[in-house]
Amino acid sequence: MDLEKLEAILASQSHEFDVVVRIAKEEDIAVARQMAKKLAQEMGFSLADTTKVATAVSELARNIYRYAQQGRIMLRKKEEGKSGPSMEIIAADQGPGIPDVELVLTKGYTTYERSLGIGLSGVKRLMDSFAIYSAPGRGTVVVAEKRRRRF
Amino acid sequence: MKEAPSNPEQVVPVLQIADFLLVPIQIDLDDKTVGLLQEQLLKEIARTRAKAIILDVRMVEVIDSYISYTLSETAAMARLMGCRTILCGIRPPVALTLAQMGIALGELSIARDLEHALVLAQAP
Repeated sequence: MDLEKLEAILASQSHEFDVVVRIAKEEDIAVARQMAKKLAQEMGFSLADTTKVATAVSELARNIYRYAQQGRIMLRKKEEGKSGPSMEIIAADQGPGIPDVELVLTKGYTTYERSLGIGLSGVKRLMDSFAIYSAPGRGTVVVAEKRRRRF
Repeated sequence: MKEAPSNPEQVVPVLQIADFLLVPIQIDLDDKTVGLLQEQLLKEIARTRAKAIILDVRMVEVIDSYISYTLSETAAMARLMGCRTILCGIRPPVALTLAQMGIALGELSIARDLEHALVLAQAP
């Protein structure tokens, strides 16, 4: 059930993650981006994947700031799994929520004036997995994951 | 008579060469900075009446959708002022990320490197 999942993630504790960045001011977007880059580098991600992770986090943090005013970016190393280590990226806010999730994933769709409308659909393309849970009045959670690739 | 304090916040160095401007961007482009950058560039274009402006982004590690939007918007504004905007030095991982997100930066002329950008800037 999506609503249960949403509530569970919104209630998650900071200590369950390697990095938590509270987003409340515009500058926090750049902070989140830097922290994501640092964690990706520590995990041995390639330069290309580090850039993708940093860019995705930048988009997610900006969405929190723009639409919910505040929320959290939470990053976690996941070592288990047959596909090797990966980074889990969660963006969580208790903002207005998204009435139509499919619509916001449409490239070019935006409710903000100064925007390409490409943020969320772009994040989905940059990540290996992507899920969004949202309920009007409750908030929005994006859960994305990027695997570490070996060359 | 004293000039009105017209010193905008300078976020990047702007070098004037003949009738174009060269702008090396060597700072992290957070949202506030990218707004100030746009403001500064438009003022410089108006002041110098440059016919082209070269933005060198070799040092920029992340170009996300908002930075892309603002750069494209700046180029559209510059074009209306008779000035072409040329972007050079996009790092391979940044190019990969932009391409994967579907961001084309169509308002800007893209140069392979600074040398190519200088050729484009001098084109009639």
